[in-house]
Amino acid sequence: MPYTMKMEGIEELSTMLNEMGNQAEKVASVSLYEGAAEMVAEVKSKVRQIKTERFHYTVFGQRKPSPEEKDALQAIEAGIARFDKNGSEVNTSVGYSGAGYVITGYGKVKAVAQIANAINSGTSFMQKQPFFRRAVSSGTKKAERAIKDVIEANYQALIDYNNGGKTE
Amino acid sequence: MPSEYEALVAALKLTDIPFAEYGWKTRPEGSYGVVTLDFEAGTATGDDQKLDRSWEASVDVFFSKISERNDIIETVEEVLEEICGSSWALNSNQYESSTGLFHLEWVCVLIDTPEPEEEPEAETQTQSAAGGEG
Repeated sequence: MPYTMKMEGIEELSTMLNEMGNQAEKVASVSLYEGAAEMVAEVKSKVRQIKTERFHYTVFGQRKPSPEEKDALQAIEAGIARFDKNGSEVNTSVGYSGAGYVITGYGKVKAVAQIANAINSGTSFMQKQPFFRRAVSSGTKKAERAIKDVIEANYQALIDYNNGGKTE
Repeated sequence: MPSEYEALVAALKLTDIPFAEYGWKTRPEGSYGVVTLDFEAGTATGDDQKLDRSWEASVDVFFSKISERNDIIETVEEVLEEICGSSWALNSNQYESSTGLFHLEWVCVLIDTPEPEEEPEAETQTQSAAGGEG
């Protein structure tokens, strides 16, 4: 399930980017990278909070993921954030789509995205631990702040440069 | 416990789908649902206390016959529309190959606005009036 992040005050940032001319594309990409990095950090912090246990089926629907399944999510260090460049447009997404496969308990091969989805949404035999929704909820403001900081810092640097290196 | 969540649970339990909060202890026969209050998503603070709080809740339905799908969607979304307004979404749609169950998950945002405390204005006036007379 893709979660879309909406930003407030984008008009102001858009004006700043427009005034940057040919630097705008690079600054926008860097700001997105910083925003995605914040979201990745938030996802990782929520993954660490996932409760695990060894397999048991005594209580229906209440099983927790195995330590191996949690390890599979924690092992995805790079590749959790993806960037797609299409002409002048840059899109970024954070998630486990395309994160590969792992061998979990009993030698089963599972897609990491499937494990993440099962933990996040729960299954008929496993209780849900919505770590990704928590990360989106708590990380959106941090990602927004990181994006704004990069754009504002570069805009200020441009103003300083145009003023001949003098700051007012 | 947010009052909107209690209303959501009550409304879901009135539907044809058997619903339980936070899971079942034994597997029910046929299709079944689970409703969960997941986490506090946001809060508005003022006067050194929490005022409005928002919560994320989720509604899961498990069923084995694909023919049931449209009726389940209609039933659950009617309840969500009534309780949550527009702040809900179908979050995931899965199939469990090991159990043969289809799994639909909706996520909704519930707002918990505490009722304002009654100001003891009338009582104070009465007391001051009584004090004046004394």
